[in-house]
Amino acid sequence: MRSRDQVGADRGERFGEGSDRVNPHLEEFVYDDATPRAFALLTVIWGVVGMLVGVLIALQLAVPALGFGLPFLSFGRLRPLHTNAVIFAFAGNAVFAAVYYSTQRLCKARMFSDWLSRLHCWGWQAIIVAAAISLPLGYTQGKEYAELEWPIDIAIAVVWVVFAVNFFGTLAKRRERHMYVSLWFYVATIVTIAVLHIFNSLAVPAGPFKSYSVYAGVQDAFMQWWYGHNAVGFLLTTPFLGLMYYFLPKAAERPIFSYRLSIIHFWSLVFIYVWAGPHHLHYTALPEWASTLGMLFSLMLWMPSWGGMINGLLTLRGAWERVATEPVLKFFVVGVTFYGMATFEGPLLSIKGVNALSHYTDWTIAHVHAGSLGWVGFMTFGMLYWLIPRLYQAPLYSEKLATTHFWVATIGLVLYIVPIYIAGLTQGLMWRALREDGQLMYPDFVETVVAIVPMYWVRVLGGLLYLAGAVLAGVNLVGTWRARPATYHEPVHRAPALSPTYTDPPVPDSRLRGLPVVELAHTLDVWSQAAWHRRWERLPFRFTVYVTIAVIVASLFEIIPTFLIQSNVPTIASVRPYTPLELIGRELYISEGCYNCHSQMIRPILAETKRYGEYSKAGEFVYDHPFQWGSRRIGPDLAREGGKQSSYWHVEHFRKPSDITPNSIMPPYPWLESDDVDFAAIPSRMRAMAALGVPYDEAAIAGSVDTAKAQAATIAAQIATQKGPTGLDSKKVVALIAYLQRLGTDLFAPPAQ
Amino acid sequence: MSLTDVMSGAGLTSYAEVALVISVATFVAIAIWVLRRPGEEMEANRWVVLDDEHAGAAPTLRDGERSKDS
Repeated sequence: MRSRDQVGADRGERFGEGSDRVNPHLEEFVYDDATPRAFALLTVIWGVVGMLVGVLIALQLAVPALGFGLPFLSFGRLRPLHTNAVIFAFAGNAVFAAVYYSTQRLCKARMFSDWLSRLHCWGWQAIIVAAAISLPLGYTQGKEYAELEWPIDIAIAVVWVVFAVNFFGTLAKRRERHMYVSLWFYVATIVTIAVLHIFNSLAVPAGPFKSYSVYAGVQDAFMQWWYGHNAVGFLLTTPFLGLMYYFLPKAAERPIFSYRLSIIHFWSLVFIYVWAGPHHLHYTALPEWASTLGMLFSLMLWMPSWGGMINGLLTLRGAWERVATEPVLKFFVVGVTFYGMATFEGPLLSIKGVNALSHYTDWTIAHVHAGSLGWVGFMTFGMLYWLIPRLYQAPLYSEKLATTHFWVATIGLVLYIVPIYIAGLTQGLMWRALREDGQLMYPDFVETVVAIVPMYWVRVLGGLLYLAGAVLAGVNLVGTWRARPATYHEPVHRAPALSPTYTDPPVPDSRLRGLPVVELAHTLDVWSQAAWHRRWERLPFRFTVYVTIAVIVASLFEIIPTFLIQSNVPTIASVRPYTPLELIGRELYISEGCYNCHSQMIRPILAETKRYGEYSKAGEFVYDHPFQWGSRRIGPDLAREGGKQSSYWHVEHFRKPSDITPNSIMPPYPWLESDDVDFAAIPSRMRAMAALGVPYDEAAIAGSVDTAKAQAATIAAQIATQKGPTGLDSKKVVALIAYLQRLGTDLFAPPAQ
Repeated sequence: MSLTDVMSGAGLTSYAEVALVISVATFVAIAIWVLRRPGEEMEANRWVVLDDEHAGAAPTLRDGERSKDS
């Protein structure tokens, strides 16, 4: 194998890169390690917080009383807090630590602006704090992983632009002509997350902390899972692949196995990933063509994903003996292995026949946690154990503690995912099981819940172990930090600036000269020599434009037909807008996070229509801003809930669900009976809906408060008649009941006038 | 005639197959040009990540210091 010095000394003298290498003037520069140091510390802090909330909500599924009847501790509000904390706070800060550390080294340049670095770091933390406050208070847009309300969404966009300017500014002033593959993955991350966030978050504000998605029903669902799938791809995959391509060779002290494979990995992943989102919506009201397209592209993802995994693992050729002793490499090996496992399972789950069984079950939860705990978590901790001694300029506090963390986390990971896989399969099979006479074998939904509660207890144990591992990482970080020098040494680096007069090497000639071929063959031969791509790699802005085009073209290929083809959303004459009280009740449904446990989408599958009723039609959701189809059935589907139970039943059920349905794991909602409806907010909500095309006229809006109060009085009177409590006219529970009683009933109503 | 009318009338029964062919062709094109790139260039590029003389070994214990593990 060639030594690093040999290759490093003469690289750049070939392939036409040499003209700026003869620049004799070395420039001096110092890396900014304060920013990655801050991001690394915050990664651990937020990781512990996010995982702690995860353990709490896992416990609540086994013991619902652990919500203590407090709104801000209820499962529906805390589950988005958990997902947002681990995705955007834990993984997000880890990504930023990796980007800020490696980009400077790969570019041989300090970050573009220290001020922007600080603004990015602390702006992002302010967003996380805002999320940690607003989500438990019930401020949410009701779209998974995109719950944060519009002011915070705007802040995210601003901070992301700050990040982008800082990153691309650094690329622009780099002293290394070639952009290493990690930087490509960072470019794809920055560009794609910006596109996803902006377009999925488009909403019309209806108040300081309330907004409605500009999309409705099936189109909103499509946009949400275009976002949701690609957020996984471009926040939890591509930046971590960039991380892998940088930190794994560093830790193994040998270059990546195959640079060719990394290029194929990058372009095929970026090109294919964006198409695969619709596999989250199989058998729903999404058009068949979109669903099939999503499945095909998901299956194609096997290629780049396994290429990347193989590239990562084979990088350790010749270094495997060190895996036995070095915790950094242990974490990386398990992390990359879980990347391979999760990216094998993802396409598997996208196959329609498999998806019919797995969707809405804990199988999805197990898959997600195999990826997040195994891939994202282990790569993050591997990176941190490599970075911490270098950032704090002190030996790692304890290698043994790091190794203990590895084993505790590995056992915790297994104890988390194995029982949840079993729970998912068990519940999925129970839902679809039919007796010989063709009737449901387990018609009572709660039977399928009771069967999996023991698995929930094992998950709690696994989650606790994984959390304990994260705490050990915190101890190691603090111990290392305490041994830091009084003043951090800032070594001065030297490298020649890239020549401003750099000229590209001449375009190669056709190798077919002299052969009897047509001119087109010469053109193709010149093209195939890829001088154009080598030029892209030296031109970050042009490279970025091409990545953007790849992402946007794939998106538009699906989005344009989804939004334009009228037959995708057949009109149903009997579907009417929600009444003012139902609208405010729907807002409560979203605010309490009911979508985290209940779907509103009956698939055209025999067992589902037997359990819930007529399957859902795209035309039923045209006024649903946002859609509320959900992704997991911890409780039963509610798409046809209207009229199934009396209003009084709902009052008692919200008061203490297990009194009505023994063994139910739904938490009580006592505050719905004590808190008043904000009737005064109704007109602003209806105006926002009208701006989105919902047919509310000015007269209806003007009289909306009176209309809502009248309907509330009617429902309250019904409850009293049914021997329920009195005096509920102004209470939230009545508005929520109004909405629930409306669900799924339009399909069977006479056509709207 | 609007774009909506065009898309609605186009029929998308083979849409997924067309997209599949485009993607496979793209993948093959990527693979071909990557495999045709000079080996020396690839070898040089894969070493970029290690071409950083200042980010080498992690700090080690100084004389007189004791490890937490010892």
